[in-house]
Formats: sequence, C-alpha cells, structure tokens
Amino acid sequence: MGLFDKFEKNAALLSQLSAAGKNPFTVVMEEVLGPTRAKIKGRETVLAGTHNYLGQTFEPKAIAAAKEALDHDGTGTTGSRVANGTFSGHTKLEREIADFLGMKNCVVFSTGYAANLGAIAGFVDRNEDVVLIDADCHACIYDGCQLSGAETVRFRHNDPESLDKRLSRLDPKYNGKLVCIEGMYSMYGDIAPVKEFVEVAHKHGAHLLVDEAHSFGVYGETGKGVSEAEGVMDEIDFYTGTFSKALASIGGFMASNHPEAEYIRFASNPYRFTASPSPSTIASAGAALANISENPAIRAKLWENARRLHGAFVQFGLRLAAKPAPVISVLLPTREDAFEAWSFLLEQGVYVNMAIPPGTPGKESLLRLAVSSAHTNDDIDRLVAAYGALAEAFPSARVDGNA
Amino acid sequence: MSGIQEDDDLVFHKITSLLEPLNEKGVKLTRETDIIADLEIDSVSLLDVVMDIEDNYDISIPVNTISEIKTIGELVDAIHKIKKEQS
Ligand SMILES: Cc1ncc(COP(=O)(O)O)c(C=O)c1O
Repeated sequence: MGLFDKFEKNAALLSQLSAAGKNPFTVVMEEVLGPTRAKIKGRETVLAGTHNYLGQTFEPKAIAAAKEALDHDGTGTTGSRVANGTFSGHTKLEREIADFLGMKNCVVFSTGYAANLGAIAGFVDRNEDVVLIDADCHACIYDGCQLSGAETVRFRHNDPESLDKRLSRLDPKYNGKLVCIEGMYSMYGDIAPVKEFVEVAHKHGAHLLVDEAHSFGVYGETGKGVSEAEGVMDEIDFYTGTFSKALASIGGFMASNHPEAEYIRFASNPYRFTASPSPSTIASAGAALANISENPAIRAKLWENARRLHGAFVQFGLRLAAKPAPVISVLLPTREDAFEAWSFLLEQGVYVNMAIPPGTPGKESLLRLAVSSAHTNDDIDRLVAAYGALAEAFPSARVDGNA
Repeated sequence: MSGIQEDDDLVFHKITSLLEPLNEKGVKLTRETDIIADLEIDSVSLLDVVMDIEDNYDISIPVNTISEIKTIGELVDAIHKIKKEQS
C-alpha cells in the first residue's frame, strides 16, 4: 500500500515478461565460462552486453594481484577513505592513474557512480554555483546535481552551441560554473566533441568535467579516452572514470590538474561516508591498468572487432545509432519490438542489453551490443549470424523496414 | 485584453503545441492538466519539451524548477517569472 502503489504498472509488465521467459532485467549468469561466455538458462551464450571492453575479467596478472592482496591485506577495508579505509594500495593506484592520464592528482572512490556524485556535489555549492549538463548524461550525473542542491541547467546533447547559449544567458549572480559531459555515451556509442566543449566552457569561465566511464582505456592514441583523441587532455578540468568497465573491477576515480581538486576528499559525502574498495579490487584494477597500458594491441583488437561487427550490421541494413564504436546499438521503434528482438537474440545464443525510453536518448528502444577485445573469431561469427537472422526476422530493425 | 493576459495565452498556446504530439490519449489540455499524471509522459520527455521552450524564449529553466511543476498553468507561470528575471 502507499509506498508500493507506484510499482504496480511496471510490476504487471515485468511479471508478464517473466512468465513468457522474456524479461531482460532478471537474467542470471548461471556459470561464467570466460570473458565472453556464460551459461544462461542452461545454455552457453556469447556475452555481448557487458562492459568488458578490454577483456580483463580473466587477465592472469590481475587475478594473481587480487589473490595476493587478499592474502596480504584481507577481504575488506571495513572503513571509509578518510578513516581506516586508505591502504597503501589505494594511494598507489591513485598515483598510477594520475600518471597514466598525465594529470597531477587522482582521488579514488568506491564506484564510478560515487565518483561523479562526489565530484559534482563536492565542487558545487548549492547557493552560489550552477551546473550545466548534457541532456543525455548518465543517471549518476543527474543524481550528483540533485545531491549538490545547486541550480541545474540541461543543454542539448553533444551541442556546444546549445551550451554556449545557456552559459551566455546565465545570471551573473553565480560564482562557480560546472559543465558536465561524457566521453563516449553508453547507449548509442556516440562521442562528445570535447574540444569544442572545452572552448565554450572556458570562454565563459566555467570548469569542464568529462566522465570517461566508457571511453577510458578505449579511445585515444594511448587509451586515455575521448579527451585524448580530441587532443585536449591538458585542458579538461576534471576527469572521472570507473574501474568497472575497461579495468574489470569495482571502483571509480576523479583526476585533475588543479591542485585544489583534492580538497573534495574533505568535502564530499560519497567519498567520506562509504567504505573504500576492497584491497583485491584495487589490486586487480591496478594490474589491469598496467596490462592495458603496456599492451596497446588489446585496444587495437577491440577496435578491429568493433569495425567488423559494425560493417556486418550495415550490410544487413540494420538501423544503427552511431558510427563504429565499442558500443553498437540497433534502434527499434517500439518497446514490444525490443523485448521480442532481445529474446530472439538470446534464443540465438547471444546476450546483449536492451534499453527502452525514458532510459534511452530518443523515443526509440534499442538493443545495445558492447564489443570486447576478448571476443574470439568464433564469438564474432556467432554474433554476425545472430544479427543476420535478426535483420531477417525483424523488418522494423532495418533501415528500409519502417515504411 | 491586457499585455500580460495576451502573453499568457501565447505562452499557453506554445506549451500546448509542444505537448500535443505527446498527448497520445487525446486529453483536453487546460491550465489544470497535470503534465506527467494526466498525459502519462515520462519525466525525460517533459525535460525535452522544456528545452524547446527555453530555446523558443531564450531563457533557462533550471531542472530544479521543473521538478516542482505539475500542471500546465504552473509551467506558464514559471516561464513568466523567469522571462521577467532574465530579460
Ligand atoms: C557514464 C557512466 N558514468 C558512471 C557510471 C558508473 O560506474 P560504476 O559502475 O563504477 O558505478 C556508469 C556505469 O554505469 C556510466 O555509464
């Protein structure tokens, strides 16, 4: 009663889907068989709906480092970064990330979600400052704005001119201005024109935060992200990221060239009031970071796989959301189509993500494939075959099928 | 008709023209219409409509303000207030 009334509508839909065995939100990985395979509903399935972009989940060096940390430092820190939860592993990893990015400092949080929450709420004063966010930013950026309590203005997705207009008409009463964008956006796999955003933000005296959760390790000459690919690593003010995707662990961080940025350690509740990442997760993240920076071939393989899949899907006439990228999304006009198409792929032995509005940028639903460098030729063949069958069975997924 | 009243009607008209395509159930739009509850549109679609309004009037309507708005009338009033402040 009361509290639960609002669940009714979704609960009805979800139980209907579950009854039909088509609920994308209750999938269980019954047995993990490797970086790109798991048993789902008793069947070996190709995983193409993960964030294991660089295939580090079973990297032997990361596993060895995690085991050693378990043996030496125990299972958990039992405390927050500002109390008993900062071990030498945490500060070492902060140094390593800062060095990898070529930035002055880095603050490690318990998740990427907490890093964005903590950075926004930590920097922005509810009475004096204002936040401007790309309309398609991740929930944790929206939540960070709410936590900050400051006035929040949205601008059009990937549209520096729209930001420019909004900055121009801001009341001069604001002291600090924080602009938040992402590197690669996770739903469509489209990337931000970071360079133009830097110019617009700085022209108006605003700071720019770039969340590279999905692009860290993936974009740029040396894997520093879209900011590197755009040639503006030295110009962005705050860089946030996560260990949960390319580094296949758990944790998050905020890096900066501003020496003052480190003060958020004392100003940010998502840093101060939650336990720090466990020693083994920190150790595996560090080992994965070392591994991917020493082996650029891993990133090259990811891009090779992404181009192969994207090329094949274009051939099939599928309606794709963006250019070749480690996320390849097929657009579908309705939720019903999306549920059907998603379970069709699962029956073909392929797991991808499904997203429906309002969790998607537009009015369409989508099937989201995330590529991994660990996808083998056999995996890619199976993905191509499954999407070929999808294109046949679902005209609504094709460019020519919306008539 | 006073200037304010005329402006009020124009703003109301602008908002309803933006909401109409989302009005799948064909609800009659009045100042009392609850945008999310009556039209069954999601919160993100409302934010997108507001973005169109912002660009139309060259004003900024903070997300915080929108989350306090329920009815079309409240949105009209908020736009007037912000237009006055930001002009
Ligand atoms: C853009 C973006 N930022 C932050 C996060 C949060 O990362 P984490 O899983 O480490 O909390 C995600 C992941 O879902 C994301 O997509």
